[in-house]
Amino acid sequence: MSRLWSRNEAVLRFVLLLAAIVVLPLLVRPVVASEIWIFAIAAMALNLIFGYTGMLSFGQATFFGLAAYTAGLMMIHWQAPLLAVLAAGTLVGALAAAVLGYVCIQRVGTYFIMLTFGFNQMFFFIAYKWTSVTGGDDGLPGIPRPPLALGPASIRLDSSLRYYVFVAAVFLLAFYAMKRIVDSPLGVIFQSIRENPGRAAAVGYDVKRYKWIAFTIAGGFTGSAGVLYSMMFGIVPLESMSWIISGDIVFMVLIGGIGNLYGPLLGAAAFKWLSEAISVVWERWPLILGVALVLVVLFLRGGLVEAFTRLRDAVGGPRARREPGERVAVGVTAERETGW
Amino acid sequence: MIGEPLLRTEGLTCDFGALRAVNRVTLSVQAGTLHSVIGPNGSGKTTLFNLISGELRPTDGRVYFEGRDITGLPSHRLPHLGLARCFQRTNVFPKLTTYENVWVAAFAGRTPGALGFLRRASEFSAVDTEVRRILGDIGLAHKTAAPAETLSHGQQRALEVGVTLASSPRLVLLDEPTQGLAPEATQQMTQLVQRLVGRYTILLIEHKMRIVMSISDRISVMAVGELIAEGTPDEVRENRDVQRAYLGTRR
Repeated sequence: MSRLWSRNEAVLRFVLLLAAIVVLPLLVRPVVASEIWIFAIAAMALNLIFGYTGMLSFGQATFFGLAAYTAGLMMIHWQAPLLAVLAAGTLVGALAAAVLGYVCIQRVGTYFIMLTFGFNQMFFFIAYKWTSVTGGDDGLPGIPRPPLALGPASIRLDSSLRYYVFVAAVFLLAFYAMKRIVDSPLGVIFQSIRENPGRAAAVGYDVKRYKWIAFTIAGGFTGSAGVLYSMMFGIVPLESMSWIISGDIVFMVLIGGIGNLYGPLLGAAAFKWLSEAISVVWERWPLILGVALVLVVLFLRGGLVEAFTRLRDAVGGPRARREPGERVAVGVTAERETGW
Repeated sequence: MIGEPLLRTEGLTCDFGALRAVNRVTLSVQAGTLHSVIGPNGSGKTTLFNLISGELRPTDGRVYFEGRDITGLPSHRLPHLGLARCFQRTNVFPKLTTYENVWVAAFAGRTPGALGFLRRASEFSAVDTEVRRILGDIGLAHKTAAPAETLSHGQQRALEVGVTLASSPRLVLLDEPTQGLAPEATQQMTQLVQRLVGRYTILLIEHKMRIVMSISDRISVMAVGELIAEGTPDEVRENRDVQRAYLGTRR
């Protein structure tokens, strides 16, 4: 059932991911490294609804921001513990996605995108105007970073490197959960809906129900990313709810490669890394981002993942060469010509 | 032998604006038979199928399956009741593999409770067995790993039938399975349909007369939205109205 090329390659890729987690804080500032995995979670979530289920949401910042504000308020007013805040933010993201998503999935294509965008603008406006709760334009400041309480042990996360380790651990958990979702029957059902919703209904799936499930799950993941983001700088900026974040997440998924577990991770890393590296030298770095996006859409529809595949095939010779998009499922049988 | 038919339509009617595509069609399909619907282009055969399978809501009339009124049920409910259809234009999941195409249809009939979704898709061995049996039946066992979009036209038509069979239906609606096939592939498809007879009740739309006459138990003939004749192949062949519908009126 798996769309992975082979078991060995799957293991290799996971090992590379672990290596990246270890090496990353040595290459970039730990704060940037944390941001990469935080946005990797959000990009992974969008990939579930966009790459797997075929619904482009341009409003993921709604759930990112709602969870970030929820976490911030819980920590400021109730001194809530870390894991409780993480759980609450995830839940808020999922619940909000369940309610808003129920409305959005009633429409498809452009109308779906506009509904997600519309809700995003609505919640942004609420956060902007409701200054007594959210701080409005100034953001919500004074957010502590509570220690991680594991049984009797209490681990302080006060340095940015310590916080990085915590973020990486949450990311790995989220990655494992996402992998299990994609490998579960849901993964195949979501893809069948992306490929052909009418036929998915004709074989017996309530398409709207499964779209709603995908949207809700993604909202939960995006919420957990929002919580991690709220503790990064001790402030929830108004921007965390803005359409710019929604757009960034879409960019990351497109640049990395959609419909593939690792694509969004590469996309998030490339996006955040580039923005950090280039913005230091040249403040007009979004220009480069725009060019990169145009190039990807024109020449590299599979994103960075496809670039890697092509590179490997070029280096690996004919043995590794495959048609683009070709996959090998479990239980492969040798090709043989028959009458069909 | 004539008990409650497996499928029965009563005065089924469908209007598209001022156009009446299907006009008061009353039709019975007996269990275990291969029942064909023929008729010139535009006579309303596919619309009739869409009314039965829930893709369209009838303007008037009812559909009964195993005595149960299924009129207007959403199409995704029907496979769970035992009625599945295949489409005239190949309608599969292009980027999914052949295996995944059949798997997703086979799984639909066996959706577990919420906890079942904690398992991996590859862990449902009953579904796997069923999928491999169907892939063997339709002659695509050697193509499990190929994305559907890379299959030849004939193979895609066979996959279309396989996806339909995967929900273990008691009634299969086949809409022109040989459409656009080369002669050799047409023959293979005909043999495939023949192999299904006895295991499934089949309602078939087909244009190629020779095939229809040789494999059908009963034939219903439609013209301009109406049922104009019904009977065994021999009866239909001799029918004046049918000859007129196909060859035109001599004035």
